[in-house]
Amino acid sequence: MKDQFGGNQKRARFQALCQSLRPDLLRFAYWLAGDRALAEDVVQETMLRAWKARDSLQDETAAKPWFLTIIRREYARSFERKRLPTVSVDELVASEEPMLAAAEAEDAAELRAALFKLPEEYREPLVMQVLMGFTTAEIARELDLSTAAVLTRLFRARRRLREMCGEDTGRDPQE
Amino acid sequence: MTDCNEYRRSMLADPGDADPGLEAHRKTCPDCAGFSERLLKFESRLERALRAPMTDAGAGAARADGSPRGNDPRVAAFPPRRARWLAMAASLALALTVGGVLWLSSPRESLAADVVTHMKGEPDAWRRTGVPVPGPQLDEVLADAHLRLAGPPGIVSYASSCKFHGRQVPHLVMQTESGPVTVMVLVHDQVGKPMRFDEEGYRGVIVPDAGHGSLAVLTQGREADLPAIERIAARVRSSIVWTR
Repeated sequence: MKDQFGGNQKRARFQALCQSLRPDLLRFAYWLAGDRALAEDVVQETMLRAWKARDSLQDETAAKPWFLTIIRREYARSFERKRLPTVSVDELVASEEPMLAAAEAEDAAELRAALFKLPEEYREPLVMQVLMGFTTAEIARELDLSTAAVLTRLFRARRRLREMCGEDTGRDPQE
Repeated sequence: MTDCNEYRRSMLADPGDADPGLEAHRKTCPDCAGFSERLLKFESRLERALRAPMTDAGAGAARADGSPRGNDPRVAAFPPRRARWLAMAASLALALTVGGVLWLSSPRESLAADVVTHMKGEPDAWRRTGVPVPGPQLDEVLADAHLRLAGPPGIVSYASSCKFHGRQVPHLVMQTESGPVTVMVLVHDQVGKPMRFDEEGYRGVIVPDAGHGSLAVLTQGREADLPAIERIAARVRSSIVWTR
């Protein structure tokens, strides 16, 4: 019996699948890493690994979480390969702002800066939900958390973002 | 019974939560309805920000020790782009196969924003009329996208095959009990789950159609009732018959 992406036609389907998912995967990697070059490296490695492991993708409709798992592992590996020097988050935000101002509306730049200031534990599930369209249960499975924990992180992420962006949070619920 | 605190907490965790209890609370609480309106706008901004073009230098994830799950106020600087040639040489055969997909597609802007931009370019489509599009014209527009409609939820008063994200997609206007509603069948744009949007005076939903991209259904005006649009979207989706 042929595997799911074994023949030429199925190989083409796998390529089409990669192509359709790549933009969102690249964005996800970017929001995880905060750097386009690193995000591109991670996605490239992800695609190669996915190709090698394509037989393990039995259900095409589950491709997105399958790729996401690989991309998160690749991102983790990128830090295992090299111990990195540190710089302050404010410097990095400041370095991005002029570029954003030229290319985007002011409020998008403000929101992006706020997103980068969110702790990763809040930013990652938020990006998975808003950008990747994952349900709470899918996020919980991927991050190995309870559904309640994911909801709490998402709640905190939006509340902090709204505060940082000067939204009226006076009647937002407290912890 | 959902109270305001619980409602807002749930909305902040998942603004797309369609729980009937939340819906019921929203209908009876003007304060929370207003809160939802503001949150929906914020959500549109958030999605636009997440999908905006990436920059070369960003503010990365916080970590001091190089571990990917650190949560330190100091952050790691990013490594220079790794020399890929060794890996590429070793993986040449693989790269030749999958390489084509790596650079072909560029990141999308906000899908909802793009739909609204398209709408603004076709103001005539919104005319309220009871005159249906001639059958052959409608069939031709739908056939281009390999589909037909079996019992749409209203008269189709406008049908055009429009270029969207570089592809031809059906752009329809249906006269429904809620007024004119625009439907775009985004055959090549996939979304993971239904999402509401409120952009520049247009309100609507984008819903996935498994294996066939997504469906954008929207209308004009602040008073537009999103649950009603969602119901129309569900009816349109169930009326679509794919011919390929």
